[in-house]
Amino acid sequence: MPQQISDAELEIMKIVWGSQSEVTLFPYIMDALAARGKPCQKNTLIVLLSRLVHKGFLSARKIGRRNEYTALVSESEYQTAQTKHFLAKIYEGSAKGLVSNLILDDLLSDEEYEELKSLLKKGSEES
Amino acid sequence: MSTILKTFLSMSFSGGLLILTLLLGKRFLKDKISRQWQYYIWLLVILRLLLPFSPEISLMGKAYQAVDQAITRAAPPTRQENPLAGPEGAHVSSVGPEQGEESANLPAQNLTAAPPRQDIGAWLTDHIWLIWPAAALGLLIRKITIYQGFVRYIHAGMVPVSDVDMLDRLSAAAERAGVRAPVELCVNPLVSSPLLIGFFHPCIVLPGADIPETDFQYIALHELTHYRRRDMFYKWLAQITVCLHWFNPLVHLMNREITSACEFSCDEAVLAKMGHDHAQDYGQTLLDAMAAVGKYRENPGAVTLSENKRLLKERLSAIMNFRKKSTATRCLTGALTLCVVFCAVFVGVYPASAADASDPANAEKPLPVQSGHSPAAEESPAMETLDVNGKTFFLVHNEAQLRAIGTGEYGMDRNYMQQADIRLSTDEWAPIGTWDAPFTGTFNGNGFEIIGLTMTDPDAEIVGLFGVAKNAHIYNVTMRDYDIAGAGGNIQGKSVGAVLAIGQGSRSYDNFVYPKETGEDITQDQTTGAPLSEAARYYEADSLPLFQIAFSRLDGTAQGEWLEKLYAGDDFAFFSVAVRILDGDDPLIAAFAERAYGDGEIAFFSTLTDCMDKADLERWLDRALEDGKWSFQSMLFNKLDRNDEFDELEEQREKEWEAAQRAEYQAAGVTMDGKNYYYQGQLVNIFLDVRKGGSFYVLDMNPKGTVNVRITRSADDKITGAACMTDAEAASLLGDMEAPEGEARDKGWDSPDEAWDNSEIVSVPVGIEKVKDGEYVWLGTYTLNEGDRVCYNVSAESGEQLDVGFAKPGQTSPEVRYYMVSCRRTDGKLEVRTETMMWKSPVDPGEYRLFLHTEGGALAHVSGSVTIIKAAQNSQ
Repeated sequence: MPQQISDAELEIMKIVWGSQSEVTLFPYIMDALAARGKPCQKNTLIVLLSRLVHKGFLSARKIGRRNEYTALVSESEYQTAQTKHFLAKIYEGSAKGLVSNLILDDLLSDEEYEELKSLLKKGSEES
Repeated sequence: MSTILKTFLSMSFSGGLLILTLLLGKRFLKDKISRQWQYYIWLLVILRLLLPFSPEISLMGKAYQAVDQAITRAAPPTRQENPLAGPEGAHVSSVGPEQGEESANLPAQNLTAAPPRQDIGAWLTDHIWLIWPAAALGLLIRKITIYQGFVRYIHAGMVPVSDVDMLDRLSAAAERAGVRAPVELCVNPLVSSPLLIGFFHPCIVLPGADIPETDFQYIALHELTHYRRRDMFYKWLAQITVCLHWFNPLVHLMNREITSACEFSCDEAVLAKMGHDHAQDYGQTLLDAMAAVGKYRENPGAVTLSENKRLLKERLSAIMNFRKKSTATRCLTGALTLCVVFCAVFVGVYPASAADASDPANAEKPLPVQSGHSPAAEESPAMETLDVNGKTFFLVHNEAQLRAIGTGEYGMDRNYMQQADIRLSTDEWAPIGTWDAPFTGTFNGNGFEIIGLTMTDPDAEIVGLFGVAKNAHIYNVTMRDYDIAGAGGNIQGKSVGAVLAIGQGSRSYDNFVYPKETGEDITQDQTTGAPLSEAARYYEADSLPLFQIAFSRLDGTAQGEWLEKLYAGDDFAFFSVAVRILDGDDPLIAAFAERAYGDGEIAFFSTLTDCMDKADLERWLDRALEDGKWSFQSMLFNKLDRNDEFDELEEQREKEWEAAQRAEYQAAGVTMDGKNYYYQGQLVNIFLDVRKGGSFYVLDMNPKGTVNVRITRSADDKITGAACMTDAEAASLLGDMEAPEGEARDKGWDSPDEAWDNSEIVSVPVGIEKVKDGEYVWLGTYTLNEGDRVCYNVSAESGEQLDVGFAKPGQTSPEVRYYMVSCRRTDGKLEVRTETMMWKSPVDPGEYRLFLHTEGGALAHVSGSVTIIKAAQNSQ
């Protein structure tokens, strides 16, 4: 997943990922965008969707006049890739730097901190 | 010069005239008529430039005729020294306006005919026009690659705009412009001004994203209006036209006009949508966009917002002066449109139709051409000319023109081409060409007819359409109903030839003549005449499929005549294709079936039965059974799919036949016991019964026998008695079978007698009533060693092919067949008769099965024998 997507496109991906069913329909995305307070014109959405299809994030299936969209990249895949990208860009690949930064600057709440600790423990026991 | 190029040049010229008219008109009416009209009117010019259509009478047609004739007069034809070019030239004359047609019509021989040496110059001038399409293609390819390069360049640095607000504004503009397709919006800092690319997936490319809202709206609306009006297709159409008419500067001018008119009309459309209040803002946007122009060279395919500064000035003034058109203007516009359409149509193109209509290959039956543009009055001897491959042909349309050949301007050395059927009056015909002035040119009848040539002068020495010709070419002439039988009655040694009487070194070919038949109504003859001649032509040409087609067009009487001719001529192949197209209830079928049956022509009869229905076949079968016509029964049973019945019948017949044979032999004093023959109480060694003509004979050899017997028959094939063969007779009989090479003698055989003593002879009698098509009939297994000899003597009464040979045991349809001899029916006989053949390597010794086989029709009454002579044991 080498491609970067714009904020508007990410917004659409979030809707697709959040949708209950396997496929997402055009009007559904349109309504969901409006519900999120980011309404857009029909042509805009079409253009954005076709860009996502082009970038390999979505697949589109045309059934009559109805367009069905399916996510080709899952949310977690996207997050992992984005994190890697972020790590590489800011911390030069070092996760330690990121975590230490998070802890040092008090960006984590206590609960999150505990959760992370238990996760770390589990990870070291397993390996 | 090629007709295509001629047509094209005339198109270019007439288009040029139209362009000039429009450009002039524009000077006066620029601001009065809608820009839209000024833009789209060029479409009409483009059509004029691209479509070679023209009304009967057109300006260009007239102009070109005049030019053609002037050229012909100025340069008298000097190509007589090269008569070989005659037929080729004539054929090429029949070329239509399209190239595809040309190659389809050219007979194959033309392709092989190399251009004569001295004509290389002419060949070059003939083909120099090819530069035109080559250049057009080159230009087009160049334009396309430039455009592709441009699109790649745009795509390379393109970043899609992700600002949702901007995209929303674009959506609004698209809705306003009436564009349904989704429009992509991108930014590419490399472009100088906003532009639109993509034919089906439009994409607006902006130089930068930081454009004020109003500007963006104008830009989007402008570009989308281009897209909605499909301006890029229009532009490309114009580009193609420019490529094809690259030699015409006016067309280049037109292209520039279209480009500017495109922007004007687009501006007009945008302002009509936005309202005139926006004119100033819109103009400002144009100016802003202009500021950065010039980063990339002008591109042919994309529609940009503005293209050059000169144009911009004009556009700005047009924008500021924009106003709604009044009704008067609309009327004026309508009138102008009609006017231009009219011009476009009647300026016309070069009439290639003249050559086109006379094309004999195009029309089933060539029709007389009454070309509307012909300046020649109906019976005027003045001839038009036609240039074909650099040869000038005088066109002969009527009797006066035909008679004028050899007089005045129309010399004996010119080339003539008939253009219409010509019905001559009964005035005495004077043959073209005399001893003093022979015809030396070319005459191409073009497939048209010359009807009713009449010569009655009893003192005429030379009789024919052409009298004396020298090194001339006379071809494709069709003469019908000519009457020259009475001419030259008083002259001894007159020269008569319907087309050409005396041709010294002349070539006369592809001509057809049909003399007048006395007492026959000419008009009636004519109606059936043409197809009849066609049938005759294809019959002569040995072309079955074409003959079949021609035959199908004939009426019943003519078909009957043809069948009669084919039947009488024993022309089975043509007969069968002809019959195949007849209906089953055609009386001809019944009539010929009757005849074939009567004559015992089973092949013809069989063909006819293909057209019969079951009831008919059954009727014939009953008749054949009644008459005892064996082969007809066999064939009919087969046709009716009742082979089982036939086999039964056959078995019965076989028995009867054997019994009859036995009885016959008995009467002659030979009795039979199984396969052994006895004569006067003695076992027969060699039994020979030769029927008439050697067609069928029984040769039976039994080494245990002691007498050699021969059945004697009278001339009418009746057995008259049996007689002992003398030793000499037997020896000569067996001697016949031996290899003449004397291989036997190499083995140390001194005399036939000795050979008999030392060798064992196995004679395999063959008496099989029926061998089915493709069937193998096995006649026992034999051990064959090196040096053994085999000899076949088998014949069949009916059937077409007979194979006799050996195969390895255990194979029902052997792949390898040894010593197989295959014969086809020749001279009415089907027999396999061989000399003795030595069994030797590379064929291995061993057990082999003898077989009979046939392919291509069942065999009936197969008889004869296969003799195997074992090599002498003691000589090995």
